[in-house]
Amino acid sequence: MSGYNLERLNFLVVDDNKHMRALVKTILHALGSKNVHEAADGADAFKELRHFPADIIICDWNMSPLDGLDFVRLVRTGKDSPNPFVPIVMLTGHTEMHRVIEARDAGVHEFLAKPISAKGLYSRLRSIIEKPRPFIRAGLYFGPDRRRRQIDWKGAERRKAMQEAKKAAAEQAQDAGGLSQAEVEALLGG
Amino acid sequence: MSGDGKPEIIQPPNHVKDKVSVTSNGIDLDTLEKAEKLIADMQDSYLEWVNEDLRKLQDFENQLDAKTAPRKQVFNDIFSVAHDVKGQGGSFDYPLMTLIGNYLCRYIEHLGDVEPSDKHVEVVKVHISALRLVIAQRMSGEGGKMGANLIRGLEAAAAKTAVPKV
Repeated sequence: MSGYNLERLNFLVVDDNKHMRALVKTILHALGSKNVHEAADGADAFKELRHFPADIIICDWNMSPLDGLDFVRLVRTGKDSPNPFVPIVMLTGHTEMHRVIEARDAGVHEFLAKPISAKGLYSRLRSIIEKPRPFIRAGLYFGPDRRRRQIDWKGAERRKAMQEAKKAAAEQAQDAGGLSQAEVEALLGG
Repeated sequence: MSGDGKPEIIQPPNHVKDKVSVTSNGIDLDTLEKAEKLIADMQDSYLEWVNEDLRKLQDFENQLDAKTAPRKQVFNDIFSVAHDVKGQGGSFDYPLMTLIGNYLCRYIEHLGDVEPSDKHVEVVKVHISALRLVIAQRMSGEGGKMGANLIRGLEAAAAKTAVPKV
């Protein structure tokens, strides 16, 4: 059977937990990747990007001194960013709705909830390969188009109402625990 | 933003598409099954890793007993390790570790700015003991009846000492 060959892609895995890095590397190698570099936090990763042209970054959220979200913002909007367009998969145990929205608004392409599986990670990589998104510069935002589905909508503009509903839902969800991966997808797809 | 205030749309170069090809030895279902199997084979490594985390949690428990550091600070340290435990267990067929790790994180998170009482310390310790038990008894998968009882007990303990919502 034929399928995608990831051999030529450069991956940068950013996680302060060496065991998580080992797990992600194992999966990427099993999927045929040869070039996988590691970094232990956002600052290290940003340095690494200066001499390693990563095609895809897989990055954790909780790290110090520079956490995943700040790293994403630095890559997207930093004046000396080596590649503001690089696809980023945010890998995290934080699956609360307001967190997912925060990650999306920082400019991540994909969001994968821990604990991870090979199939889960591959599905996010496939999405990056098959659905490249244009970048948008609007107000303070610079990153991949946050709307994944293009709909030829001729009805009333309800986006503002939707944003307000999401904000209210996010506030309600703060105490309700995490979202499932399917719910995360539905939210990001909105 | 473009000059007229409208969002600017940029088509970035697609390096990923340029480098990815479809080949006969590319990723198919068989590759994915093998990758999952490789993760399953890492279970021994996982048990070593998680034992490291359990040792760290034991050290934090000792700090709580010895009162060598402010409780709030120790709770934050415990949260950080529990968050790692939560993020890993399920990958290696220990979903109970993910579930209990999540309960512990949520419990600490819900305390917010409240100074932890003796009862809160006890509940946190019960969660840590539960994590230890799951690994000591190798309770992979759902953990059977013992797992269900454990979860029920933790839920009851957490509910008893929960900080009321304002």
